[in-house]
Amino acid sequence: MLQLQKIIPTYFDPATCAHSELWLKSIEVEPGERIQIQAPSGSGKTSLTHFLYGIRNEYSGSIRYDGSELRTLDPDQLADLRREKLAIVFQDMRLFPKPTLRDNFEIKRQLTEHHSKETILDWAGRLGIDHRLDTPAKLCSYGEQQRASIIRALLQPFKWILLDEPFSHLDDANAHKAMQLILEESEKQGAAVLLADLEIVPFYPSSRLIRLLA
Amino acid sequence: MKHPSFHIIKPLLFTGERSSTRWFSYVGLGIGVLLLLLAQQLFIDIQALVKQTSIRKNGFDYISVTKQITNENMGRDNRFSAADIDTLRTQSFIQGAAPLISNRFEVVATAGDQIPFASDIFLEALETEFIDTVPAGFTWQPGQALVPLIFSSDFLEMYNVFAPSYGLPQLSMETASNVIIGLRCEGQKGGQVFRAQIVAFSDRINSLLVPKSFLDWANQEFEGLPSANASRVYIKTKDANSPDLLDFLATKNYRVNKEKTAFGRSKQILQGVIAGLGIFGVLVVGLALLLFSFYLQLMVARSRDNLQLLLTIGYRPDWLSRQVARRFIPVYLIVVAAALIVTQLLQYGFHQVIMFNRPELSSWLHPSVWITAIILTVLSILTNLRMVKKLLYGIS
Repeated sequence: MLQLQKIIPTYFDPATCAHSELWLKSIEVEPGERIQIQAPSGSGKTSLTHFLYGIRNEYSGSIRYDGSELRTLDPDQLADLRREKLAIVFQDMRLFPKPTLRDNFEIKRQLTEHHSKETILDWAGRLGIDHRLDTPAKLCSYGEQQRASIIRALLQPFKWILLDEPFSHLDDANAHKAMQLILEESEKQGAAVLLADLEIVPFYPSSRLIRLLA
Repeated sequence: MKHPSFHIIKPLLFTGERSSTRWFSYVGLGIGVLLLLLAQQLFIDIQALVKQTSIRKNGFDYISVTKQITNENMGRDNRFSAADIDTLRTQSFIQGAAPLISNRFEVVATAGDQIPFASDIFLEALETEFIDTVPAGFTWQPGQALVPLIFSSDFLEMYNVFAPSYGLPQLSMETASNVIIGLRCEGQKGGQVFRAQIVAFSDRINSLLVPKSFLDWANQEFEGLPSANASRVYIKTKDANSPDLLDFLATKNYRVNKEKTAFGRSKQILQGVIAGLGIFGVLVVGLALLLFSFYLQLMVARSRDNLQLLLTIGYRPDWLSRQVARRFIPVYLIVVAAALIVTQLLQYGFHQVIMFNRPELSSWLHPSVWITAIILTVLSILTNLRMVKKLLYGIS
């Protein structure tokens, strides 16, 4: 279970967060839940994603994964959490620019070998980037990079997946396909999905809506 | 974590590196290790070379001291009094002093029927601690017919030089040890003939030594006098080349065995030079490792984004550190092995060509040099791993 205990960025004024449904609140995310976080610009959406992934620590309160306080994990334990339980799709994709998409996938896949190389081919085909597999990531369009970033996130076992504006560079058709793949894979793993976006994503069948606000 | 392949990750880490820094550090490390190993081997060689002529025993130098005979003091009693010996003993740089007492009666030595040799001789005695080679049988008690002798190696050499001119046979140490010598002792109060046998040869003491108990007994028995003041005193010191000791002896106008102290001094200088070479080697090794740490920092700085992303997607810093550090292990092994081979070649050349294959030395490296090489390799690898870990954990 994921537990958030009254977290708030240290650079936010608590008085202005009174209407937020997340900042300074206690929230528990059950396995298999689908959470939609609606967060207008400047409300701290990306900060929240980074806090939840343990990249940044400028917050007060506590974040616990299965009872373990995220802040107290050492770098190796944090790596274990990210590799085995916690997946992410970054808003800015964060692919290795020089390696091809195939190598980007392999760098992630070989960590756990949770999926086969054939699965990569299958998913790349479903999201329409199979013809770009041998192209360096930096030469792919943002849309292609975003789809690659989604596939990379799914190439591991996970109990939680964090999605930070995962479809911002995709047209509706591609966004639907990507959403479908994410839901399929998270359902298979019984994982909770936390999707944060500027607006409500209409084709995301969420079980709970949290308005971040600042 | 499974066992991911480093192959696919390697290009992410070694991006646009400037290999010159790395090669400089390798060459530096090689030179440093070579200097260190050479210094150690040379130190061992010198120890082996001086072992035969060393005047040291149990970590002390033993030197003989006499009073300088000059025109001014000629004719006076230039022997050491008990007070003189006490003064010597109280000096901080002297750990012991023992007089070399001599016979006060006449002694004639004969070499039996086989070697027609007879000569007036003198006998001396010294506390056994000051004798370099003391065999178990070097004792005497009243009533004992056989007197053990410690014979100066120099005397035997001298005998062998002159023996042919007198029609006498030359003697090896072994043969000389088997000859039964007749000792005819005569004084005012009586005399006696003893049998004597050489039980050891001494490199340090130019004399014919008998057990002190024999000389004390014989002086009293044949001359009715106690053993007299000595003209030679042996002193025991931690450093025969100590300036304090040499100054003290000079002010007292005492004369020391110059050859041995001079040799000790040059040995000390040589060891100092070699120790300096070794220290220089350690410094060069340290500098090379420092240069290598700069190279690593540069490498990590250039690959920082990639390294950070690897850690972000779930690579353990521990695993990454070991993988990066492992890349350099073969290089360290090759560098140290090359230094070891060069040291071996130089030692072989030194022994065969410069030292004419002297038996005290070996053409092969001393085992301790191998151990040093292994320690240096392990140290380099561990230092490298520690540096990589520090850098990677720093960015995680």
